[in-house]
Amino acid sequence: MITIDLAIYGPLARVAGGRLITQTKLKLNNSAKIKDLLKTFNISPDDISYVFINAVLCDVPGLNASLEEPLHDNDHVGVFSKGYMWPYHYREGAFISKNLEIALNNRGTVHHTYTNE
Amino acid sequence: MARKILRINMNELKATYKDIPEKWARWGGRGLTSAIVSDEVDPTCHPLGPNNKLVIAPGWVSGTPAAPSSGRTSFGAKSPLTGTIKESNSGGLSSQKIAKLGLAAIIIEGSPKDGKWYTLHISKDGVKFEDASELLGKGMEEVDKICWEKYPNKPAVIGIGPVGEMKLTNAGISINDPENNPGRYAGRGGLGAVMASRGIKVIVVDDKGGPGVEIANMELFKKGRKKLTSAIMAHDLTKQDGALNLYGTDVLMNIINEAGGLPSRNFSAGQFEGAAKISGEMIAEMVETRHAGKAGHACHPGCIIQCSNIYPDKDGSIIASPIEYETAFALGSNCGIDDLDYVAKMTKECNDLGLDTIEMGNTIAIAMEGGLLEFGDKVGALKLFDEIKNKTPLGRILGQGVEATAKAFGVHRVPTVKGQSMPAYEPRAIKGIGFTYATTTMGADHTAGYTIAPEIAGVGGKVDPLTDKGKAELSLTFQAATAFIDSSGYCLFIAFPILDIAEGWAGMAETVAGVMGMDITGDDVIAMGKEILKKERLFNEAAGFTNADDRLPEFMRYEKLPPHNVTWDTPDEEIDKVYAWVHETAD
Repeated sequence: MITIDLAIYGPLARVAGGRLITQTKLKLNNSAKIKDLLKTFNISPDDISYVFINAVLCDVPGLNASLEEPLHDNDHVGVFSKGYMWPYHYREGAFISKNLEIALNNRGTVHHTYTNE
Repeated sequence: MARKILRINMNELKATYKDIPEKWARWGGRGLTSAIVSDEVDPTCHPLGPNNKLVIAPGWVSGTPAAPSSGRTSFGAKSPLTGTIKESNSGGLSSQKIAKLGLAAIIIEGSPKDGKWYTLHISKDGVKFEDASELLGKGMEEVDKICWEKYPNKPAVIGIGPVGEMKLTNAGISINDPENNPGRYAGRGGLGAVMASRGIKVIVVDDKGGPGVEIANMELFKKGRKKLTSAIMAHDLTKQDGALNLYGTDVLMNIINEAGGLPSRNFSAGQFEGAAKISGEMIAEMVETRHAGKAGHACHPGCIIQCSNIYPDKDGSIIASPIEYETAFALGSNCGIDDLDYVAKMTKECNDLGLDTIEMGNTIAIAMEGGLLEFGDKVGALKLFDEIKNKTPLGRILGQGVEATAKAFGVHRVPTVKGQSMPAYEPRAIKGIGFTYATTTMGADHTAGYTIAPEIAGVGGKVDPLTDKGKAELSLTFQAATAFIDSSGYCLFIAFPILDIAEGWAGMAETVAGVMGMDITGDDVIAMGKEILKKERLFNEAAGFTNADDRLPEFMRYEKLPPHNVTWDTPDEEIDKVYAWVHETAD
């Protein structure tokens, strides 16, 4: 088993016992990934937006690029509910995961909501 | 009917109205304040001396019927904090009321020969110069209350608190909000001290019976307004029940902290363990559980984004409005303080005394690093405001801001550019913002020009897919777009939808074209913004600033920022490209 330091922000926090913020420790199997963490709380990937693992941005709204990210003992994970904002205007140069970088490249140019064609 | 320039000569206590001259006729808001300061203020003058001027200008569309979120007032002068040209803008009641009096700008020059303090009452009947003795020493909460009791028609109240009266370089200019609270500030750059040096405590603006704002092409204005309003209401960031509306700007606290870019304990770390406790989500929880206060508050009439808030105390009384992200960072994480009630109490003190919350929070952090008190000492931090209230030598040092306090306490980790301290984005962890901090004409300022993630599609006329452009060009492009928006009277937050939704960008330009009768479209926005930037840059150069001033502080080059353990490593020559065009083109 591994222990994850988990924070959930926004309405999803209620599924883990909070109101708009939940900060908790979570035990998961050694091979757990982000998708397993979400399943633990019955959170649909459609309902998340930004996901961070150890201060690295792993997901943005609408891409679901983080689901296969492996988790390790003592990782910190931050999950934000759908509808959150981090204006891209302030994001240039932030640390992002390889998987997110690939997903963004595959997706091509996107708008803030990541839903515009 | 041409817009008027109201010139107020405090030497003679005389006001004159003249049609706006041709050279300034195209401009409003920041474009106009910067044009006037460039033309009329000697760049080498002392900012508190007789040759500086305070210029106040509503934006192009302020005061027009239902232009969405268009209540920004620009204040311009040479800054006593930075020594540069300065434009600081704010919400509140003033912009629409000044515009409805038919005024393009108010220029205030000179100082009273009798050494007295004055209240200026501006209405359709002209300007009255009234003795302000009874208001001296009072905080802005009381001043706003007195003014609404004394004057009819719920006027705009533009004022300075005791910090302004002391002419300290962190003195902001307060504007009352629709509930007559003093939470809206042209905070940055010490312009409250410039207003004080003109001998003015308060400017009261009553627009009743004013001529209103002339709209040259109503059809075009309405067409643009519809597009812009639709874009704001459609966009995830700015729509009703969107993140800004629900949690305010402090929604960024947890995100930036998770990213490792939240300045903490005087910019010594990029994460703060208590960030969640001072976040926008926590503000919303407090409003919900204390059954008082408000999220989704409008800072001026007609705002449809409504990102302000009113923060309640445990007993349901109101502590302060608003708690912004920048405020929560400066008075919270950067001081190691994780108690939202104390952040609110310090915000209240800033609003009442007349202090910029960013500069003040960063100043307390410097004092903590200098050993005056421990990081996290919320009680001690709150008590420091008594030093300012009591006008002690320590209080006067703190009121001068970060650089003066760092010198007084021997601190070398000084997070400033051109004398102004940094807002809530650590440029070592989120490097794009560093370009803006380094090069803006205003000193370190997150609102002076956005930078943009490379994967994002650009809209807005010629700003096509941005991936292939250099960072310097991007920074310039967004500084120019910001200068245009700052001239419009629109809140800068319209940038989020209009940069995503092409119709919104076009609509914004069409509203301006409709009001002003100018032949412009979205394609002209960047060029006009660059005209403003060039004026500002040339003023700064004439004041003695060079490329060497466009630098982030030295400690960021060698001190690794946890958790990513990174330094600022952008070469100076890349930074210098941002404004190289000023002397290369005939713009």
